[in-house]
Amino acid sequence: MSITSGRAPRSGYVQRSTSSGLADVLDVLLDKGLVIDIFLRVSLVGIELLTVDARIVIASVDTYLRFAEAVNRLDIGSSEGEGLPQLIEDMTEGGASSKTKGVLEGAKESLFGSGDEGEESGDEGEESEDGGSSRRSSSRSGSGSRSRSRSRSSSRGRS
Amino acid sequence: MAQYVYGIVEAGTTKPRGRGIGGAPLRVVAGEDAAALVSEVASGNVRLGRDEILLHADVLERALARGTVLPMRLGVVMSDQQEVRSRLLDEHGPELRAQLAEFAGKVEIRIRGVYAENLLMREVVDEHPQIASLREAVRGESDAATYYSRIRLGELVAAAVQRHREQDAQAIVDALASAALAVEVSEPGHERVAVQASFLVERERLPAFDERLEEVAADYGGRIRFKYVGPLPPHSFVELAQRV
Repeated sequence: MSITSGRAPRSGYVQRSTSSGLADVLDVLLDKGLVIDIFLRVSLVGIELLTVDARIVIASVDTYLRFAEAVNRLDIGSSEGEGLPQLIEDMTEGGASSKTKGVLEGAKESLFGSGDEGEESGDEGEESEDGGSSRRSSSRSGSGSRSRSRSRSSSRGRS
Repeated sequence: MAQYVYGIVEAGTTKPRGRGIGGAPLRVVAGEDAAALVSEVASGNVRLGRDEILLHADVLERALARGTVLPMRLGVVMSDQQEVRSRLLDEHGPELRAQLAEFAGKVEIRIRGVYAENLLMREVVDEHPQIASLREAVRGESDAATYYSRIRLGELVAAAVQRHREQDAQAIVDALASAALAVEVSEPGHERVAVQASFLVERERLPAFDERLEEVAADYGGRIRFKYVGPLPPHSFVELAQRV
């Protein structure tokens, strides 16, 4: 197989998309970008924003049991890929993704319809439908009633 | 009429074709230093579902194809075009002009790396005899008998994964940052995410960035699978000083 000069061979381990997938862009649209706070006056409908902080997910007993399960399933010489049953399990049990905070009100139903974001859900377990035990809509921001969410910190480096 | 604001574009930008949220035509509100990309929405509470969110992203993508755009966060609605002009464009004019210049020709690329679970678990078992032996101990025993052992096992695995993640995330970010102008690292979204970061890259350096990503991905040999989203407007890198 010849390689086009100046271009690295494709590893096969990179999936590319433009912004067309909702899961790809939702958190950056909600958390980033320019804002003048007093002008945010929208409510999100049909969206349940999963706002569990990643650290909480990583530290939970559920997570430990899942890891124990994953390690136990390993057999010497078993296949390396993720089977479909594992993917489905990940989707329905897996950790939450969006870490939104702030002024947008959340609504009740799940944003993600069944299966129509399927191309992304396999690896990531993001599209929990009635998903894990911990989630709240962001309209409760500031109420403190569901104490499991913490603010996310991110580090920024500019060269 | 209320105006939904998608982003800031260069002063003198002509009205784009196409429609935005609710089918309203896209318009440009012109200021001296910058212009705002808007469309009319009903006054009162604007309701955004998945279609509207995707449309917001799509409007920005189209604007990015035409030139520099500083994206607004989702959901910025102002009372009318006059307010857009005075409270956004005039009040923040110099800052917006400066950022339009700073981000000209630059785009955001979002990278997520996710561990292939079986491979990760095998590495963790191979690297930690304590994990391997505890795994043996719980095997074949009833769930009830091994509940606390399994929690302990999972705890050890979680800690091992975290160590992997810290190392891998650092290495990946460093490798890609050298092909970028700036980087913004996010917390991982769930326990199998190895790395989540946004990179600011000049358009003409995108092939080099892409090549670097392919090299990194090849190095990880399928243990981490990468998702590349972009080019996007620089959501993670724009900012506006908030006045109290």
